[in-house]
Amino acid sequence: MPMPPYWELVRALTIKDFKLRYRNSALGFAWSLLNPLAMMAILTIVFSTLLRSGIENFPLFLLPALLAWRFFSIGTSMALWSVVGNAPLVSKVYFPRWLLILSSNLANLLGSSLEFLALLPLMALLGMRPSPSALLLPLILALEFLLIFAISLPLSALNVYYRDVYQVWDIALQAGFFLTPIFYSADLIPGKYRGLYMLNPMARIVQCARKILYLGIPPEPADLGIPLLGALILLALGAIAFSRLEPRFAEEV
Amino acid sequence: MGPDAIRVEDLWKRFRIPHERRNTILEGLAAILGGRPLSYEELWALRGVSFSLGEGESLGIIGPNGSGKSTLLKIMARILRPDRGRVEVRGKIAPILELGVGFHPDLTVRENVLVYGSIMGLRSSEIKGRMGSILRFAGLERFEDARLKNLSSGMQMRLGFSVAIETDPDIFLVDEALAVGDAEFQAKCLDKFKQFRAEGRTIVLVSHALGLIREFCDKGLLLIDGGVAAFGDAGAVVEEYARRLRGG
Repeated sequence: MPMPPYWELVRALTIKDFKLRYRNSALGFAWSLLNPLAMMAILTIVFSTLLRSGIENFPLFLLPALLAWRFFSIGTSMALWSVVGNAPLVSKVYFPRWLLILSSNLANLLGSSLEFLALLPLMALLGMRPSPSALLLPLILALEFLLIFAISLPLSALNVYYRDVYQVWDIALQAGFFLTPIFYSADLIPGKYRGLYMLNPMARIVQCARKILYLGIPPEPADLGIPLLGALILLALGAIAFSRLEPRFAEEV
Repeated sequence: MGPDAIRVEDLWKRFRIPHERRNTILEGLAAILGGRPLSYEELWALRGVSFSLGEGESLGIIGPNGSGKSTLLKIMARILRPDRGRVEVRGKIAPILELGVGFHPDLTVRENVLVYGSIMGLRSSEIKGRMGSILRFAGLERFEDARLKNLSSGMQMRLGFSVAIETDPDIFLVDEALAVGDAEFQAKCLDKFKQFRAEGRTIVLVSHALGLIREFCDKGLLLIDGGVAAFGDAGAVVEEYARRLRGG
């Protein structure tokens, strides 16, 4: 029996997820630009005007990191629902279930890429230093995609069995927002905690985005290598967890 | 007769029904801390089912409610996984279960057809080429852009049937799906099935309509309490079931 061309399925599911993401709000894609812009305005007022962090060109310092974080937080929290949200498919027809997670992540990659593209002119306006390092953005997004996929696998599977996984993950994401150098520089972390702090793969990924778009310098090998290693370890663990939990999806969704 | 299209070997399936609902991490933690381990009621839906079906044969599965018919069908469709035993299937399967084939309520009719078709292994160009005939058979030409949740259950079932038929499966698994349609549509579907039989495709029907099984199927399988009570010529199996129903 020939294998069905699953990439056609992935494409159809990705388009479906992308449409559903923007269909349920009147402004659609505009919201996904308004949200980071509003965050940028608020954080700039707080950290640049009120608290005077002393960071040069704070909006531009913030924006690449914020977009990279949104890619991660929206990607994982969307994918968390990708099995449960497709219960009518899962309980009625067979196909490899992990394709649901992949498709959800791909739809999010598309959304985030568009956010970056749409906000690049603004970053240029804010005084982004044109540098060849900026061309590394796709590589960094690819690395982050791998991390998102690795985490989405077990999250989506656990969410089938425990319906409050999203609450727990929501708290984790809130903690992550503060434990990742988004609105501050990682240099502020005291040396004795720095090693632990930088174990968070998102810390390095966010720094990569900042380096190439704000500082105009290329990331160091460790900035890419350590998150890659972390993502691969998480992917192995996530895949094991997913394959353990997958057999009873149709009974539990 | 050709090679086996479906071979089912010693299939066992257990469902766990928890005594208390515990669907959240918090409840789970509270129970563990409180020293109340999770207890289940075990229900064996299938107990060692074996049979095989040749290519081009049609099988009717009958039996009382809760005898494991739908579970068996879902395992053959790979939707559920058995606890023991195995199923071998040669060819592409289209399951048509009660209440549909796998549609998303928030997508339009057209989008659902595209997603379903790609699950069934068709290219999007192939599906688009068949869109017209799918909608026509379902009688939904005017509803191409309607969201699925706005269709009646009968309309959804008709769409499910049409799209499953048009994906060119080798094997149909049909679970009481005809029950929702009106008489005209049922007749249309039966004609299609007769055509598929003539083309040598394999069909498995779960139904309480014993007359239909006797008329339409080559073989019958009587399930009682998850075990095979009778398997063989459809007429004889239906007769056996009727005898048991009479208490004979």
